[in-house]
Amino acid sequence: MTPVLAIENLSLSIAGVPVVDGINLGVDAGEVMALVGESGCGKSITSAAVMRLLPGAVSQTAGDIRLAGESLSRLSERQMQAMRGRRLSMIFQEPQAALDPLSTIGTQIAESLRQSARAARPAVLHMLDEVGIADPARRIDQYPFELSGGMCQRVVIAAALIARPELLLADEPTTALDVTIQAQILDLLRTLARERGTAVLLITHDVGVVADIADRVAVMYAGRIAEAGPVHSIFAQPRHPYTQLLLASVPRLSDVPKSPLAVIPGRVPTPLEFGPGCRFASRCPRADAQCVAQTPPLRPLGDSDVACWHAA
Amino acid sequence: MTPALAIRDLHVHFPGRKRLAVRAVDGVSFEIAAGETLGLVGESGCGKSSLSNAVVGLVAATSGSIEIQGQQVVGANRAALRHMRANVQMVFQDPATSLNPRMTIGAAIAEPLLVRGLATGAALRLRVEALLEEVGLRPEHAGRMPHQFSGGQRQRVVIARALALRPALLVCDEPVSALDVSVRAQILNLLVDLQSRLKMATLFVSHDLSVVRHVCDQVAVMYLGRLVERAPAAELFATPRHPYTRALLASVPDPDPIVQRAKSRVPLSGEIPNPANPPPGCRFHTRCPIAADLCRTAEPAWRRVGGGDVACHFAT
Repeated sequence: MTPVLAIENLSLSIAGVPVVDGINLGVDAGEVMALVGESGCGKSITSAAVMRLLPGAVSQTAGDIRLAGESLSRLSERQMQAMRGRRLSMIFQEPQAALDPLSTIGTQIAESLRQSARAARPAVLHMLDEVGIADPARRIDQYPFELSGGMCQRVVIAAALIARPELLLADEPTTALDVTIQAQILDLLRTLARERGTAVLLITHDVGVVADIADRVAVMYAGRIAEAGPVHSIFAQPRHPYTQLLLASVPRLSDVPKSPLAVIPGRVPTPLEFGPGCRFASRCPRADAQCVAQTPPLRPLGDSDVACWHAA
Repeated sequence: MTPALAIRDLHVHFPGRKRLAVRAVDGVSFEIAAGETLGLVGESGCGKSSLSNAVVGLVAATSGSIEIQGQQVVGANRAALRHMRANVQMVFQDPATSLNPRMTIGAAIAEPLLVRGLATGAALRLRVEALLEEVGLRPEHAGRMPHQFSGGQRQRVVIARALALRPALLVCDEPVSALDVSVRAQILNLLVDLQSRLKMATLFVSHDLSVVRHVCDQVAVMYLGRLVERAPAAELFATPRHPYTRALLASVPDPDPIVQRAKSRVPLSGEIPNPANPPPGCRFHTRCPIAADLCRTAEPAWRRVGGGDVACHFAT
């Protein structure tokens, strides 16, 4: 089966400095794929590349992005523009910033359908109901400032999904929301993905969110994928030392209070500091001469793919 | 023994639209014993930051009492406040905006000591170096500027500056929320380590329950300007009694897919009401799964249940 989204050997660079280095990633219909990593690992820029919304300074130096088998890299900007919102959509961290403060939410949702607000009204009302907004007939004519953050994110999701795109990119969709609202929005995303068969690429730094809704996970570190696999394998048996430390550094409701948390020493290298070998080598407890000298390839191990010379 | 912090019937109101005051903090009382860490949790808009700002004197309390080591903050004159501020120091969420970009970190840490005339010259330099070591930085870092540090290291600098005067009370407002996961663990380990070494009381404000559980001895849960529950951390997390506390705990995603997906979901419906016009009776009744007629009219009294206190008609 052709995946809805296939990222093939994608490399991105800023002024000749590589920031994303040959990553491969596939997302199937109805599946939630989480791309996890800390700030600066390249996860957000990867999603921007999929939407072809890269900032001017960033260029795609290699690789291809396919939507249902069709290469997006070859499309003209005009053709790409016609795809956005219809076949692939994106939602962001700050719902208020994603909405136009000067137009009603009904008008903004109708825009994704390329229809007038009046013609699209029945469809918009139905979509508002589907994303769990109470009293859609009143809300449809309101402005973003009249809605809470959680409700604005529901509106953004409605606008993103009303045209039934095959792919939804969600970049930290619940990071700006409170936990009780986050639980509601994650439930909504999961239900919609399943019911509509939408492929979801979820960008997040929060391993709790991943554990909640992802089917598969790709862990990114310094522009490369360190490990990828089904969510249960990644959490039950993380094989890359970075994944192991990342999971162990999160306080859990089940561990002993005030017990020391695992710490990853040092910091993420900047792209200018990348050496020839594994990019985690400078912080890795298991690193040796081979790790510093040679880049470990991503290789299958159990259910997962792991880029580490020592993983077993 | 005098508690490090005693708050009684504290109100912090802000002028709102149509002459309705926003009652950000609306009758809150609690104490923090010397050497103890209290976690203040709640969602955005519940008033937790207004409360911590009132404690350090960044906003004025409308009424009520705030005592730091027995000294009244509310209505105190400038001289008294200045004296008192040596006893309470604050760590904010974003270390990048907490440090002067034009000042070396050594100068930033030395400033509170200089201002109070506590050390000069070589003694000051030694004191700054000791503080840097205390938070896990190296003495030779003193000459560097904030931009030469990562976010986690900057938060260490901010903590060192807050510790410089050896305050009786440290107020931390979301101290790790802006940090990456691996760095967050480093700062949490540092805070736990400082607690045991310095025996300093801490008011730890956070929306993140797993972080609060990790570092706090006591927990107070705030909703719409009021406390709904206060209990020792172990008890609150094991047997949450208020329906809001239960909903909050159920909403925290567990970083284990098996545990998380087996959870019975109690997603709280609805949103937080407007604090300028809170619902009558129990403020939580509009979202509460067990609300009855009584809750819509009568405000629940603060009462002892088990080892904690709870404001709910039906909590047992």
